[in-house]
Amino acid sequence: MIKLYDYELSANCYKQRLMMSLLDVPYESVPIDFFPGLEHKTDEFKKINPLGHIPVINDDGYVLWDAHAILVYLAAKYDPSGHWYPIRDPALLGETASWLLFAEGTTNTASAARLYVNLSYDFDIEACRAGAHRLFRMLDEHLWFREREGLNWVCSASHPTIADIAIFPDVVLSEEGGVSRLDYPALRRWTDRVKALPGFSIMPGIFPMGTS
Amino acid sequence: MTDPTTLTDPTTLTDPTTLWHPVATMLDLPHRHIFHGQLLGREVAIWRADDEFINVWENRCLHRGVRLSIGTNDGTELTCRYHGWRYSNRSAGCTYIPAHPADAPARTICNRTFAAVEKYGLVWSGEDPIGKPPIVAALDDGTPFTLRNLPVNAPSQVVLDQLRQHRFQPVASLDANTARMTATEVNDYAIALTSTALTSTETDTTESSTAVFFVQPVDSDRSIIRAVLTEVPAQVEQLGVLRHHATALGKLVIAAETAAAQLPPPEPMVATINQVSLALSVMPEPMLDRQAPLRVQVARKWITAQDIVGFELVSVGDPLPTFQPGAHLDVHLPNGLVRQYSLTNGPGDTSSYRIGVKLEADSTGGSQCLHNTVREGDVLAISEPRNNFPLRRDSLRTVLVAGGIGVTPMLAMAQALKPMGLAFELHYFAQADEHLAFEEIRSELGDAVTTHVGLSPDETGAELARLLDGYGHANQVYICGPGPMLETARTIATAAGWPDQAVHFEYFKNTTEIDNSSSFEIALARSAVNLHVPPGKSILQILRDSGIAMPSSCEQGACGTCVVPVIEGKIDHQDVHLKQSERDAGDQIMTCVSRAAGDRLVLDI
Repeated sequence: MIKLYDYELSANCYKQRLMMSLLDVPYESVPIDFFPGLEHKTDEFKKINPLGHIPVINDDGYVLWDAHAILVYLAAKYDPSGHWYPIRDPALLGETASWLLFAEGTTNTASAARLYVNLSYDFDIEACRAGAHRLFRMLDEHLWFREREGLNWVCSASHPTIADIAIFPDVVLSEEGGVSRLDYPALRRWTDRVKALPGFSIMPGIFPMGTS
Repeated sequence: MTDPTTLTDPTTLTDPTTLWHPVATMLDLPHRHIFHGQLLGREVAIWRADDEFINVWENRCLHRGVRLSIGTNDGTELTCRYHGWRYSNRSAGCTYIPAHPADAPARTICNRTFAAVEKYGLVWSGEDPIGKPPIVAALDDGTPFTLRNLPVNAPSQVVLDQLRQHRFQPVASLDANTARMTATEVNDYAIALTSTALTSTETDTTESSTAVFFVQPVDSDRSIIRAVLTEVPAQVEQLGVLRHHATALGKLVIAAETAAAQLPPPEPMVATINQVSLALSVMPEPMLDRQAPLRVQVARKWITAQDIVGFELVSVGDPLPTFQPGAHLDVHLPNGLVRQYSLTNGPGDTSSYRIGVKLEADSTGGSQCLHNTVREGDVLAISEPRNNFPLRRDSLRTVLVAGGIGVTPMLAMAQALKPMGLAFELHYFAQADEHLAFEEIRSELGDAVTTHVGLSPDETGAELARLLDGYGHANQVYICGPGPMLETARTIATAAGWPDQAVHFEYFKNTTEIDNSSSFEIALARSAVNLHVPPGKSILQILRDSGIAMPSSCEQGACGTCVVPVIEGKIDHQDVHLKQSERDAGDQIMTCVSRAAGDRLVLDI
């Protein structure tokens, strides 16, 4: 079974939990005392990931780190439909890769602001928040036009991709970092749609949809 | 330049709290979504119910102040994410508090609502808006086409300044950059711009497009441009037009934000959050008598089954108050009688109240009057909905048992449980198929409804025994029907192991012969008054005769409205409202029929 070196409050770890839940892939969570224990910086943990960060997976001896890289691996290996990571559609694959890079941006701004507020990380908080707003403004416009084209997801496909999963937690947890989503109604509608996916799972701060 | 003939008042007024402002587009309100908005510094939660009603509410749960925009919209009620308080569509009255699952929330718990009107594809609201949303002739003449709305970190007047210089191209020549711009209408929060391009110099024909830009003042330093074209472009051109305007407005946003950054930051707007009114923070004045503060008109009267007539009652004044499943109304009839009828409404539906009235063979004038005298268009006086039959919404299984016209509160309960995904079954007992009422509601409820038709009393008992076999944890049964059936159901439930607290019932009437021959003293502990109750008079009458205001409804020991807490003394219970465990506890009395078993009662009033 896949082992996920995991921290409950980490947005990047949640991306993996959500992906595996959506793909109905069983996994075992290995809790890492990220805060305040800084277990991911210990020599012991660096034997697993010399870069000293989580998430990391171990799939039957195959070890992989970096949140968005793990998403690529999980979808490529465990999604027989090929929708989540469209290997057989080069145009869509390129698009997915492009939005994964965008997700690096939201992680480094919106999610960084959250680390500053919740875990006292030493970041330039104003720069993080301004950066998050700049990206959210772009993404809101992008998703608004997607809706006009009759499409629901970040990439131009009728099914969501790992790009949606990579961006979703950074967006939906942004208020914890002091980044309001009041100005991004299309972004809020898109988060509703992600929450309505079969197999959707939650984490502290990410609420489920209603019962109906 | 203001042109009052096209852009009429109230937008010529300057106080923005008296104006209508656009607060969302219709595109912002998809099915079951809750839009997070802001106007003049105040946050609002905007949601469209399944009946298409648009709710604009203070974005704040009355309980702990959590934003309602992170709650859930189940199509009829909005639920707060924090402690699950539920608020009704339209009225914003609280319908359920999970921490008090067996109690009906007070009617006075009601969130603040704001007016909402849909016009030009936009949702209009305001703090205290006067009149109607602005009329823009250019939009009325055409078919409005909503452009992408853009938030701007700049005061509305800075945005308006930029809009006066704004440029865009007419639909027919998006790629050019030569159009002539004219501002045709301007007011403090709106500007209409027409872009005209010469398409052919030889023939001198022109192409033009007009867009109206409404600027929503979000806060002192933030705005949203809500733009609408006066004509819908051809389908193939739409995306190009939307992108053209988004790009042009995107540049305007940067310019406005750059200009705003040069200005000293304005003081933020402070929205007044209403404090709980004094009237609600102290003990309420007791009601004087059976009050009928509402006036309703019979909008529809229809035969829903043999001898059962449905009445749809609409308000002739303010919107109808919130009700909860299980609630009933006192209906004051033209012949002077007062009768109680349960509401059949589903949750969140206060557009009208709907009741069912069975013509009773031994009618003393109540059902006969409604059947034969009251007609569509007549105005009736009714009480506010009162709930002495509250529905728990935390059950794993709810069994609803209805006999005859007892189906009415059960229909309201079933419609509340269904959207919440709570397991329930409704068993509807009737003499014959033609006695089955409210087909339109039952068909919506689908498989959850089972009808049991034409059973003898013994067969009914056997069927009830089958239905109530096997009590499980967090099971509840609600029973409403004729007395004998109710007695049978209660006996069977008890025998099958259902605890008293899980068996809820409502009698139509109290058929017990009331023995009012006793005489005794009552001591009112809080009022320090001693009174004598002689034979032939009820405690309720004596209290009223002594100037004590008492609420009441059925006045025959069935509804539970005139309950009073008892501190001391044995009670001779003659009502049918209290459960056995409540009778045994001996700490409450129905003052309309019950009396002292000894010679003295101490009441907590």
